[in-house]
Amino acid sequence: MSARIPGGQIDRNKPLNFTWNGKKMQGFQGDTLASALIASGVKLVGRSFKYHRPRGIFSAGSEEPNALVQLRKGAAQEPNTRATVAELFEGLEATSQNHRGSLENDFLAVNDLFSRFLSAGFYYKTFMWPKAFWEKIYEPAIRAAAGLGRLSMDADPDVYDHGFLHCDLLIIGAGPTGLAAALEAGRAGARVILADEDFRPGGRLNAETFEVADKPGATWAAEAAAELATLDNVRLMTRTTVYGAYDHGVYGALERKTDHLPSANGKPRQVLWRVYSKRALLCAGATERSIAFGNNDRPGVMLSGAVRTYVNRYGATPGQKVAVFTNNDDGWRTAEDLQAKGVEIAAVIDTRTGVDRRLEGVRVETGVSVVDTKGRKGLTQIILSNGITIACDCLAVSGGWSPNVHLTCHQRGRPEWRDDLAAFVPGDDLPVGMSVAGAANGAMTLSQALAAGQQGAVAALKDLGQKAPKPKAIPCSDEGFAITPFWHATASKARAWVDLQNDVTSKDIKQSEAEGFRSVELLKRYTTLGMATDQGKTANVLGLAVLAEAAGKSIPETGTTIFRPPYSPVPIGAFAGRARGKDFRPFRLTPSHKWAKENGATFVEVGMWLRAQWFARPGEKGWRDSVDREVEMTRGSVGICDVTTLGKIDIQGRDAAEFLNRVYANAFAKLPVGKVRYGLMLREDGVCYDDGTTARLSETHFVMTTTTANAVTVFRNMEFARQCLWPDLDVHLISTTDGWAQFAVAGPNSRALMSKVVDDLDLSNEAFPFMACAECTVFGGTPARLFRISFSGEMAYEIAVPARFGDAMIRALMKAGEEFNAVPYGTEALGVMRIEKGHFAGNELTGQTSALMLGLGGMVSKKKDSIGSKMSERAGMNEADEMRLMGFRPVDRSVLLQAGAHFLTKGDPEDMAHDQGWMTSVAYSPELGHSVGLGFLKRGPDRMGEIIRAFDPVRGKDTLVEVCSVHHIDPEGGRQRG
Amino acid sequence: MADLTLKAAPILGGVDMKRGDCHLVERDDLALVSIAVPLGKKTALAKALTSRFDLNMPDAQNSTTAGNYRLIQTTPDQMMLIFAHPTPDADEVVQKALSGAGYTTDQTDAWVCLELSGTGCLAALERLCPLDLDQSVFPDNAAKRTTMEHMGAIAIRLASDRFLLLSAASSAGSFLHALETSIDYTTP
Repeated sequence: MSARIPGGQIDRNKPLNFTWNGKKMQGFQGDTLASALIASGVKLVGRSFKYHRPRGIFSAGSEEPNALVQLRKGAAQEPNTRATVAELFEGLEATSQNHRGSLENDFLAVNDLFSRFLSAGFYYKTFMWPKAFWEKIYEPAIRAAAGLGRLSMDADPDVYDHGFLHCDLLIIGAGPTGLAAALEAGRAGARVILADEDFRPGGRLNAETFEVADKPGATWAAEAAAELATLDNVRLMTRTTVYGAYDHGVYGALERKTDHLPSANGKPRQVLWRVYSKRALLCAGATERSIAFGNNDRPGVMLSGAVRTYVNRYGATPGQKVAVFTNNDDGWRTAEDLQAKGVEIAAVIDTRTGVDRRLEGVRVETGVSVVDTKGRKGLTQIILSNGITIACDCLAVSGGWSPNVHLTCHQRGRPEWRDDLAAFVPGDDLPVGMSVAGAANGAMTLSQALAAGQQGAVAALKDLGQKAPKPKAIPCSDEGFAITPFWHATASKARAWVDLQNDVTSKDIKQSEAEGFRSVELLKRYTTLGMATDQGKTANVLGLAVLAEAAGKSIPETGTTIFRPPYSPVPIGAFAGRARGKDFRPFRLTPSHKWAKENGATFVEVGMWLRAQWFARPGEKGWRDSVDREVEMTRGSVGICDVTTLGKIDIQGRDAAEFLNRVYANAFAKLPVGKVRYGLMLREDGVCYDDGTTARLSETHFVMTTTTANAVTVFRNMEFARQCLWPDLDVHLISTTDGWAQFAVAGPNSRALMSKVVDDLDLSNEAFPFMACAECTVFGGTPARLFRISFSGEMAYEIAVPARFGDAMIRALMKAGEEFNAVPYGTEALGVMRIEKGHFAGNELTGQTSALMLGLGGMVSKKKDSIGSKMSERAGMNEADEMRLMGFRPVDRSVLLQAGAHFLTKGDPEDMAHDQGWMTSVAYSPELGHSVGLGFLKRGPDRMGEIIRAFDPVRGKDTLVEVCSVHHIDPEGGRQRG
Repeated sequence: MADLTLKAAPILGGVDMKRGDCHLVERDDLALVSIAVPLGKKTALAKALTSRFDLNMPDAQNSTTAGNYRLIQTTPDQMMLIFAHPTPDADEVVQKALSGAGYTTDQTDAWVCLELSGTGCLAALERLCPLDLDQSVFPDNAAKRTTMEHMGAIAIRLASDRFLLLSAASSAGSFLHALETSIDYTTP
């Protein structure tokens, strides 16, 4: 049956078809799902969380605890959508949630019969015996029954975005207060952002019959919004919830872009904004409270203000025979408004005595309360404390209004209790730059709200040193505000609900207090009051009042819990924004990336870089085939590897050499021009953290390389040293990692290949020996830098060209290398070769590695001071049985070694007390035909030739290994120096 | 090898796209040379800049321009000279002109330069850029450092609806993707 009545802000020329639990229905543009359901006479919309009691629509806003539905189908399906804020669109599909079987006949309604056993904290007292039942029986059963709604389990099909906004004044809430403030600030020329969670600005003006400036409040609101839209300096954001107050005037806001449309069409569904405000004015209004009385959760029991909203804004009446239950003046307005629209008022029940307000033709009962209701799937009757029963199908309850103080408390501010309002208002400790106006600040009448908005805006602008003329008062019709607290009908025998969404009753609260969970923080967590998706917006204060009474304290003595962002739910997708899948973080690509892709490279992530790991050739069965081949061909002839990713830092200045002498452990001050030197870098505590090579291009010009992983760390540490430790040195740093495409060319034919590549440079061993460097040109004039350094242990060069030539360079190098069967090699082959050679890398730099452990103790020069030098002398880093880096090979050559295995002396027990060290790096050596390893061993150099155990209980391996030199191949280093 | 000379390639292949009210184009015609101020020798460098390039020293928020040249401050004692220059010898050219008054380093290949323009460019940029883009605090020729989608960036305002954006060359592809996505998301 239709419950439509005339009027409202819906567009009856634009009907919209939607489906509810499979049934086709119709509403209009401007409806929410809730208002369309009410207009269609739907009472039952869901089942409660624990007891599966039938529930109906309770409110008309984001505070809704009951009407949580599954909206949309398929991957876009979203559970726990509040029907009261879901805008109706053509083709909307919604289903009820939290029932087994149909909504009308929920099998789990049986839970209500066992309510005695399901009260607060029941799960702390049950499911303990027998112990074995927990994992296989209890937990799966609870998991299946728990939660509200169901996920689709598909990936979120929508995209989301982030954004950044700046303003002089952020006005939160576009009700009468916010609109009045925005008009003042906007007209004065300030940069204003006005945000409201609703799709229509106006706040309560859209739900009430007040007049503003001699016109209906809703009309005034629409005209104000229209004026604001013409101002370039004002940004009006509807469908935007300011959900959090963060430091320094920064606010989080969620703008819903397409939730009111059938499809997002590939555009962002929502945008998460970071708003930088100089000042903020919180005009968030107030939310109505209920009253706790027996069976106060039946479908048809609603907040009184919400009943007005449906009737006035949406042209739909929630009942044909409506009773009003109130403890304040505001409840009477519902009776008056509904009567004016032709809805029958069954009675007005006012808990206060001495109330002489009357309504023509309406039964009035004062000084009494409602204590019980009847009508399981829809209210049919209420029972009063004086025994009277009244037939009705809707009960509008007004327990008072709670200012929406939440954002004032997001930085641990506490609200203050006001007895005259029976409500909390913002405390003194507000976030920086925030002030509050209107109902959110306890100014509960319309004229107060309008004036407060104007004054708040003017004060904020004055604070910013901006001109703001004296506001002209906005006339309006109005009403007083008077309340006598009445929290719960103690005469009720039946259960009285406080938190509807989490099914928490006043009995639970009293039980919590009786069991010793007396602090409000414990009450919350023990009963779960206020912990549902509505965050107890309609329940918290009521719950506090019940607790206070049970504890014999006042409400301010009982206190509140902390409000935390977000004010209302924010999808995880909105927080993620674009950070999903491949876009999670940026990629850094080498100049030869395109060529590498064309040539079968498999890539590995090294931080944000993609590096070629190996280059598979057709016919190769696995990575070992490729890697072994790359190593063999590089050591056999020549290989080329893109080493652009290693950090390059350009260092210039009169004192550059002195600077390097202080940041490196070994000597650098006298490095000749045209030479490269290996450098070891220590942390302040003496631990090795990076190594590299630094080339001297001129008296005042050096180029340092670092490992790929530590490029940023080294740069940052050196900048700190430059700026803070030694600001008297003339030295300057800039990163050139990306600017130069750099390739290692390694192998016995590397000189021959480079001779084809480099223009006019004598590359003989005499003219360009190991560790030389030069600026030169390649391929007929392209500027380049040549370094003779080797990580592989072979004769090798590194050639750098400006990155714009990087792609051309790799192709030209490969072409020139054809006659030598040159191969590209990746990070795996690079790793095999350095392990064969005995060069340490990241695996060996654990954060506890000293130079001594690496066999480089002598490299820490004592002739000069450098970072970490002093601390490296600590006794703890210079023990007699110190770990030392050694080489290892399996006794049984056919066995593959495992990195991570721990070393044990033969015959010793297998425990950490007898631990001798561990294997850090392993590789299969094609040259030697067996696995080789590097690792740290106590007193290593004294144990050459010893057979010890490499013990790996995690992977079930136990291998006998021989201790040997780290240099598995070419120990004399003849290849790289030839 | 005389028969093989290397061809330079723009990092993003010379991207030039128009979508909605936005125009995004790669400015690979620009050279970038970093100039560091030798300790205690700021006046000498300032003199060299004015006499050779007609440029004043920039402050932290605003660039200075003269003809083909623009100078931005990157750190308290470092600047970047931006000018159209096709060949890879920009550093030599600047070093020669300054005759040692500053320490120069070529940065042309370390950055990608993208010019974003059009009436839609502010709507796109506010999805990426934490900076306040209002003309009152970000006027023409302002040059500021920020991050966009986890990438460091320099934003220079060339006109009310035209920006030059610089970001690291190795993540140029991700930077372009971020800008394209912003334009896409703000174009109906």
